[in-house]
Amino acid sequence: MKIINFGKVLILLTTFLVSAGFAQSNKVLIINSDNGVFRYETIAVEFKKVLQQSAYQWTELNLNSHVDAEVKLKQLIQQENPELIYCIGTKAYSLALNHAHDRKLLFSAAINWRRLDIGEGTYGVANELSPAQEISLLRYFFPTIKNIGLLYNDKFSSEYVETIKKDALDLGINIVNQPINDAQEISDSLNELLPKIELFWIISDPVVLSSKASVQQIFKSAQQQRKPVYAYSDVYIEHGAVMAISADLATIGRQSASLALMMGKGKMPEGTVQSPAGSTVTLNKCALDALQFDFNQDALDSVNKIVECDK
Amino acid sequence: MKRVLPVLLICFLFIAGSYCSVRSNAGSIIYFYNPETNVNNFATLKTAFDTYLVNHGGYYFQPFDSKEKFEAIIREKKDDIYLLSSWHLKALQQKSVPLKIALVGTSKGNTMQRKVLSTKKDIANVAMLKNTVVAGAGSEEYIYSVLKQILGKEQESLLKDIKILIVPKDIDAIMAVGFGMATAAISAESSLNKLAMINPNQFRELHGLGFSEEDYLLVAATLKKPEQQEAQLLEVLRKMSEGAGKENLKLLGIDGWRALQ
Repeated sequence: MKIINFGKVLILLTTFLVSAGFAQSNKVLIINSDNGVFRYETIAVEFKKVLQQSAYQWTELNLNSHVDAEVKLKQLIQQENPELIYCIGTKAYSLALNHAHDRKLLFSAAINWRRLDIGEGTYGVANELSPAQEISLLRYFFPTIKNIGLLYNDKFSSEYVETIKKDALDLGINIVNQPINDAQEISDSLNELLPKIELFWIISDPVVLSSKASVQQIFKSAQQQRKPVYAYSDVYIEHGAVMAISADLATIGRQSASLALMMGKGKMPEGTVQSPAGSTVTLNKCALDALQFDFNQDALDSVNKIVECDK
Repeated sequence: MKRVLPVLLICFLFIAGSYCSVRSNAGSIIYFYNPETNVNNFATLKTAFDTYLVNHGGYYFQPFDSKEKFEAIIREKKDDIYLLSSWHLKALQQKSVPLKIALVGTSKGNTMQRKVLSTKKDIANVAMLKNTVVAGAGSEEYIYSVLKQILGKEQESLLKDIKILIVPKDIDAIMAVGFGMATAAISAESSLNKLAMINPNQFRELHGLGFSEEDYLLVAATLKKPEQQEAQLLEVLRKMSEGAGKENLKLLGIDGWRALQ
């Protein structure tokens, strides 16, 4: 009888040690720049859901909850010994970078990730869809469009615009781009650009979008010449953009978790930083109807939000 | 006083009559849940369908993002219409829920669809999917079920080594393969045709590793033989493709309804 009991205890102990060891080896430290920010928290929630399904353990550090977050981070890294550190937002990544040492790093929701210091063993999910994704989706909704125009500043966006031009060309779309040095040039540049294109694309360029007045000028000119405006964010829908396509936040969280799981298995993903795999589409039917601008109705099943005119 | 009483009585009868009339229609609602998509468009669906249905008999539309809540409504057994995927309908029928198809959705004249497992051409067989990410739109349960069917008994054991990445819509799933975020995608065959239209280069890089069995598109079902009110609502639904309601159907990925013979 005693032997049987001893056997049971031994099995239980072994199971505990094995599971503890497994959990230890898969421990993730999540650093959230600010869990009060909706986009960060949405990503964190989805990330944790996937981790939970895969029986991974995690510890969370919300930087906004600690006066001396750096000290807390050091403590946690020492205490938890995580195999992977997942950083949500640029602040979280910058802090983790100084203390991660040889630990694997994964990030998402970092603004302009190309400016980050990315070393070996670091992976991420970008904040924005790739130009090729956006252009493909634009073609889905507006299959007849051949010429798209955009304004940009050479210093900030030349590389991005070159990528857009190349990706667009692969899809049979001509990008008519016009560089500007100053927001004062917007009006004249648009007067020159708009007659040559069927749709104007607002890219995230700090000179073009330097003030509310710049944004208003873009929409005023476009309206005068009856040209639809497409934007990278639905913030511009209320100004009159006909459509906005952006990355789906929940998918960024799930995608990051997939990367974490693959990294846990030693299967490193293709490329260091992935584009987000999911998109969110807002369609401004009110603006489209006003311009009598046709769109592919079969694409309606891919729309998250339709904006109708107020009645 | 003698004059006031009949006026009050008439007012009472009018109000009571109106209330009963509203109540009689308010009893019928179209409930919707679809595990084959993950587009968060519930507010848009609710507004679009309610606007149409209220003007066509005073009916309402209630979309769900939770399978459990949708099934709880079905268990209440009201005289309503349920829009759901045929995969979900079969699963419920297996649990002895007496749902019967009244209408099947159509898209460009078809009532059936197949799901396809697509990969880049360097993935020659399903065994190469071990330890990879497969993207798909819909619930994880649904994607696993389709994948299981496509892999078949021989390759079923691969499932535990495949990570599913849930994305909002089919086109995201297929493009995730082209752009390197996933190794394979589960999508409707018709979605591959969409990719051929919008990104032909990417389409040429892909091939189908396997197909699911054919199944109906979205279906409209009832719990029992439709009575007058349900029959009226089904007729309103069937006729949506004839006018202003067609755009609403497109939001669901269909363009019409066909009565099941």
